[in-house]
Amino acid sequence: MTSQMDAVLSVRNLTKSFGGVRAVEKVNFDVAAGGVTALIGPNGAGKTTIFNLITNIFVKEDGRIIFFGRELEGMSPVAIAELGLIRTFQSARVFPGMTAVENVMIGAHRLAQRHGFSQTLWLSSSRKEERDTRATAEALLDLAGLLQFRDVHSTDLPMGAQKLLEIVRALMARPKLLCLDEPAAGLNDTETQELTNLLRAIRQNGTPILVIEHNMSLVMNVADHIVVMDAGTVIATGAPKVIQEDPRVIEAYLGTEHHAVP
Amino acid sequence: MWDFVQICVGGLAVGAIYAVIALGFSLVFRVTGAINLSQGGFAVIAAMLGYTFAVTFGFPLWIAIPVAVGLTTLGGMILGNFTFVPALERLSTANILMLTAGLLTMIQGFTLVIWGSQPYAMPPFSGEAPLVFGPIRLPSQSIWVFGSTAACICGLWLLITRTKLGRALRACAENPTAASLMGVDVRRMTLFSFGLATFIAAVAGVMVAPTTSLQFDTGGLFTISGFIAAVIGGITSFPGAVIGGVFLGLTTQIATAYISSLFATAIALVALLAILVWRPSGLLQSRVRRRHDVRENLKASMHMARLAGGAARIFAILAFAIGLLLPLAVTDNGILSGIVIAGILFMTLMGLDVLMGYAGQVSLGQAGFMAIGGYTSGYLTVNYGVTPVVGVVAGIVLSLGCALILSIVTLRLRGLYLALATLTFGLLVDSCAVGFVGVTGGPSGLVGIPSFSVAGHEFASPRSMYYLVFGLDVVILVGLVGCMSSGFGRALRAIRTDQLAADALGINTVRYKLVAFLISAALASLSGSLYAHFFNFLSPEMVGTDRSLELVAMLIVGGEGTLFGSVLGALLLTLMPTIFQPLALYKTFVSGALLVCGFLYLPQGIYGALVHFVAQLTGNTTPKVTDVKAAGAHR
Repeated sequence: MTSQMDAVLSVRNLTKSFGGVRAVEKVNFDVAAGGVTALIGPNGAGKTTIFNLITNIFVKEDGRIIFFGRELEGMSPVAIAELGLIRTFQSARVFPGMTAVENVMIGAHRLAQRHGFSQTLWLSSSRKEERDTRATAEALLDLAGLLQFRDVHSTDLPMGAQKLLEIVRALMARPKLLCLDEPAAGLNDTETQELTNLLRAIRQNGTPILVIEHNMSLVMNVADHIVVMDAGTVIATGAPKVIQEDPRVIEAYLGTEHHAVP
Repeated sequence: MWDFVQICVGGLAVGAIYAVIALGFSLVFRVTGAINLSQGGFAVIAAMLGYTFAVTFGFPLWIAIPVAVGLTTLGGMILGNFTFVPALERLSTANILMLTAGLLTMIQGFTLVIWGSQPYAMPPFSGEAPLVFGPIRLPSQSIWVFGSTAACICGLWLLITRTKLGRALRACAENPTAASLMGVDVRRMTLFSFGLATFIAAVAGVMVAPTTSLQFDTGGLFTISGFIAAVIGGITSFPGAVIGGVFLGLTTQIATAYISSLFATAIALVALLAILVWRPSGLLQSRVRRRHDVRENLKASMHMARLAGGAARIFAILAFAIGLLLPLAVTDNGILSGIVIAGILFMTLMGLDVLMGYAGQVSLGQAGFMAIGGYTSGYLTVNYGVTPVVGVVAGIVLSLGCALILSIVTLRLRGLYLALATLTFGLLVDSCAVGFVGVTGGPSGLVGIPSFSVAGHEFASPRSMYYLVFGLDVVILVGLVGCMSSGFGRALRAIRTDQLAADALGINTVRYKLVAFLISAALASLSGSLYAHFFNFLSPEMVGTDRSLELVAMLIVGGEGTLFGSVLGALLLTLMPTIFQPLALYKTFVSGALLVCGFLYLPQGIYGALVHFVAQLTGNTTPKVTDVKAAGAHR
């Protein structure tokens, strides 16, 4: 693979079964620095499983996951997040009982310099950090067009805004790789457009993105590189143009005459 | 040898009762997924009613006993209909556990009001003469106990496995949402299971009454024993409840006979803690697993009550000024002492709020740390003449050590099981306080604890103590507000609501929970020490499980997750019996009722209601999406 030199994340031979069913089998792909890599495929292809294997929520059976030259074997989800690999979830997991801006501020946790002790003493350094964090959070909310909802409780927001909020929260952690699990699911057309703009802005900023997505127009619009999965294996990789014309991809999505005939 | 058999027979008789109460726990848990701690209270009510009908009114037993059981069941169902059933739809299971603890307190308070605090002894049903089988003597009442236990077990088994009603109950147990879609009235089934559990408890109560002396607080003992039995056996399993009951009965009787009656409870509790850690779901596990639907953690999504910046500053200054000037206005020493006690308890409450309100970890054993702090400081100052400050610090160190061990041991436990583990811890400390007579003075308490003093200055009068406590409270509050309103508090709240999402942002949940637990333990210990020095005396019931439950009531009534709110709850519950002396008898009842009502009708507490009122007044409410959109359109 030529892209290995500048790969942010490399997945090699990744394998996992659930009760005898191979959910993911010998999957290989790379996520390039400074671009959007999309992971697509029909339902049940094993995309979310791959996310959960990358962040060690599930334990893999075989294979290697290398993030910035570092093997993620045996690390806890927390330790992986601390390395800068930040993910979002399929169902927007915003923290209830907190306002939008507070939700985003939590994202800064991994970067915080001042901890509970200096906050307890009201030291000026920790007060300043708090103010700076708030300012950054508001700037990011503005970028996503959510600034007007700053003081609204996160769970009162419409679904689309919650999903954007989760991405903004992840951005707040200044990720070295941002992993998004179906960010456009449940979004209407306007919201999807806002999401597209946000993803472009993040890409411009130089943050690499790995995204699982079903919305093909979104994928074709923002992705630089596409990995197509079906039934637990990678069936094609390449630029959007190439993927669109690949017969195996069309077959995976539309099926063939062959399946209808016994 | 025959001695041993005799002891085992006694253990079986005690175990049979525990088993029956455990069956009630198991039944309610299987149908609703919640623990109902109120059952022991109903057992005592039934027994007391039985006594009143049979002895005071002189009714024949065959009328008195069924009427007592019937009335208790009816009363239980009415109470359940207005508390437990609606709560199931709104609260998380851990909060329902606390709600039923409030019900238990309420029932005990009710018993205290009606029957007073003296013990009652019911005559055995069929005479005093024991049955003699060779060398074994069997009290005639144990035949009744064994018989009714067997009848309850068989009846319940037939009901659950052989009837349509039983099938509906099982459906609720496995998946309430699907059951309601299939036309099962889940609400009615819940009420039915609550009533059935009350009935079983009432039967157990009237049967066991002649073998023990009954008091208003015996219900707590029944509940705890039955509950320990249920957890040991496996709360989802009916045979488990029986095995757990028999195991517990035998253990405590053998321990009483061969070790010491003072440690019998402690031994049972150590067994429980070991089982909780080793096999959280008990010795026997049910084949069917209850599906946890969205119902869990509903309460966690509650918005927290916050004053807007400007109003908060004005209120803080106002509260500080009131606090500073209060001793000038309050001349009655009794009331001032009450305020001092509330101020001391407020320290524990702030810690408990960090743990429960922010980190979402339920603790029903917080008074255990108060006991450790109080007894350590008291023992050292009385016996070794160290200064109180050293005693207080030693108490805090010991409490932190215990908290560390407890949290390592219970690391894997969450929600309900964590609440159980902390409850067990509180009971364990309690039984040690009773058992280690040489250190703690046993049940009669530790006397002669000197007043608190720093560098020769003694805080002996309520007024001087008031300023010490006030100063400490302010320092602790300001510090905690500092970290709870910054990154630290945000991380705790994130863990409370969504642990997986918190993990994904690099928040080390284990470390944060541990820190929250240590903060709460240190503050409780400090508060316990000051409490002992203020009273110059400490006895186990001052820092027992009732105190733990009262602390939770104060926190909920005052306002959870607000740091400041709990002082309102503490003042209310402490001052009420002082100011209204004739009402002191009602204290237990009212504190239980307040906890129950707080959970049901005022989930954000007094403070939350206050904040809401101020926000309405100043027009400074939290914006809603629609407001924001409307404002955007105008622009």
